[in-house]
Amino acid sequence: MRLMGRYTFAIAILIVLLVANLVMNPARFHPAAWGTLLGMAAPLIGAALASTPVILAGRGGIDISVGPVMALVSAVVIKVLYLDHGLASPLILWPAALLIGGLIGAFNGFMAVVVRVQPIVATLGTYLILGGLTLTILPAPVGPAPDWLKAMAGGWSFLPLGVIALIWWALSRTPFNDQLMAVGSDDRAAYTAGVPVSLIRFLAYVITGLLAAAAGMMLTALIGSADPKVGANYTLIAIAAVALGGVSLAGGKGGLLGAAIGAFDIFLLQSLLTTFNLSTYVLQVAYGAILVSAVVLIALQDRGAKRSHA
Amino acid sequence: MAELSAKGLVLRPGVGAISARVAPGEILGLAGLDGHGQDQFLRSLAGLEKIPGTVALNGTRIANFREAGRARIVYVPRDRRSTGIFPGLSILDNFAIATAGRDRRGPLISPAARRARYETWRERLQIKAPSPEAPITALSGGNQQKVLLARALAREPEVLLLNDPTRGVDVATRHLLYDLFRDLAQGGMALVILSSEIEEILALSHRVLVFRDHEIAAELAGEAMQTAAVIAAMFGRAG
Repeated sequence: MRLMGRYTFAIAILIVLLVANLVMNPARFHPAAWGTLLGMAAPLIGAALASTPVILAGRGGIDISVGPVMALVSAVVIKVLYLDHGLASPLILWPAALLIGGLIGAFNGFMAVVVRVQPIVATLGTYLILGGLTLTILPAPVGPAPDWLKAMAGGWSFLPLGVIALIWWALSRTPFNDQLMAVGSDDRAAYTAGVPVSLIRFLAYVITGLLAAAAGMMLTALIGSADPKVGANYTLIAIAAVALGGVSLAGGKGGLLGAAIGAFDIFLLQSLLTTFNLSTYVLQVAYGAILVSAVVLIALQDRGAKRSHA
Repeated sequence: MAELSAKGLVLRPGVGAISARVAPGEILGLAGLDGHGQDQFLRSLAGLEKIPGTVALNGTRIANFREAGRARIVYVPRDRRSTGIFPGLSILDNFAIATAGRDRRGPLISPAARRARYETWRERLQIKAPSPEAPITALSGGNQQKVLLARALAREPEVLLLNDPTRGVDVATRHLLYDLFRDLAQGGMALVILSSEIEEILALSHRVLVFRDHEIAAELAGEAMQTAAVIAAMFGRAG
């Protein structure tokens, strides 16, 4: 019940937006189109999921290089591996993508946890490096993507998200999840209780990198090609989705499900406002407004909960 | 059954070195006015202070907090709010965090196994809680302390280091904790208890170290363990 409490706002928005979308745009939201619909929402959902573990780990944990990782993965997989070297098998491309994401995550984790650079600065460095690297590999968009990958934005769009959900469910029943939440909740208390705080934080960055790579694959599937400029846009909107989904940016509270719901909220809002033919500028104002109100409401709820237990 | 020994601990440059040992089944009390080094001494036994000197368990050197944990030297901190409880987590998770791996059945944690493990400790420590899933902040100070003790005891300590364990705890709970500590000692555990209350130290301990100016001002045992003697040593007067 308490968990639901954190998601109340995101779920309420979800229902309102879903109904509004169904009324305004019945064709797009017809059950037969759900696969495509999920495929369109998938990159943002993936980016929001990716942003979550480091935020949960607390003490200013954040990874703003999630968007650039998505772009780099897309560029390497399509341009270097698929088009230049003719490697098309998912059994090569998926591991390659995850390897890139995991390595970047490990680098971020090393900088933030071992060298102890502030996470926002450390990942800003990575953001800039990856942005330049991606443009060097791929100065302009190229395509196409392999057919199996394009199918992951259509009928098979539930597959990558489903696999992530399954893995996270398993992970949430390992000691890692308990320790991650404890570290995010209070790292000194976690250390005193014998939790390997640095290791857990480092792993959170690696998981974020892996999930960002998966999000990059979903983005590639959606646009059916590689575009060096699209990925980076996802960073900030993903963090907005995470906050909207009731994940505390101070760490230790929330989970991947909330982040996914928050991302779907933003996708639905986007979709609704586009039906009204509103300009993207208005869209940005709407994102900002909904984010601010969500964060305020969640903060009020937290304060209320604290008072009732004090 | 393990003996903890400290050799040549220097709590502050220029003061005398401290050597001490605690045998299995023994309760060692630490007394002194606040800030006279007893807190630092206890923390250094846990491997939490970087100071000259060595700590060893059965002759094996303990270099840091992680090694202490592995050797099952378990430290229960003083400040429950800032270094003890996780206010955002449930009672059950607060209890299990130090021993999360033990609830595994196969690769995954079984919630039932965790609840069963908590139940045995809840009974033993008489934790009064609405439900294991309630937030820890819903509990009284005394019950929060019991959960923290349960968390520590679940690690099956060889040596238990308690930093003012009855601070902000009601009288009934205090007596329950005293009985528990005596029980644990009887079972062969070595305990080091720091307390700001002299009566408590005298009632519980087999031996007392009184700290003054980051040195041991007096070591009292048996007949010599009297309030007046402790106070005299605390204030630096000849007993």
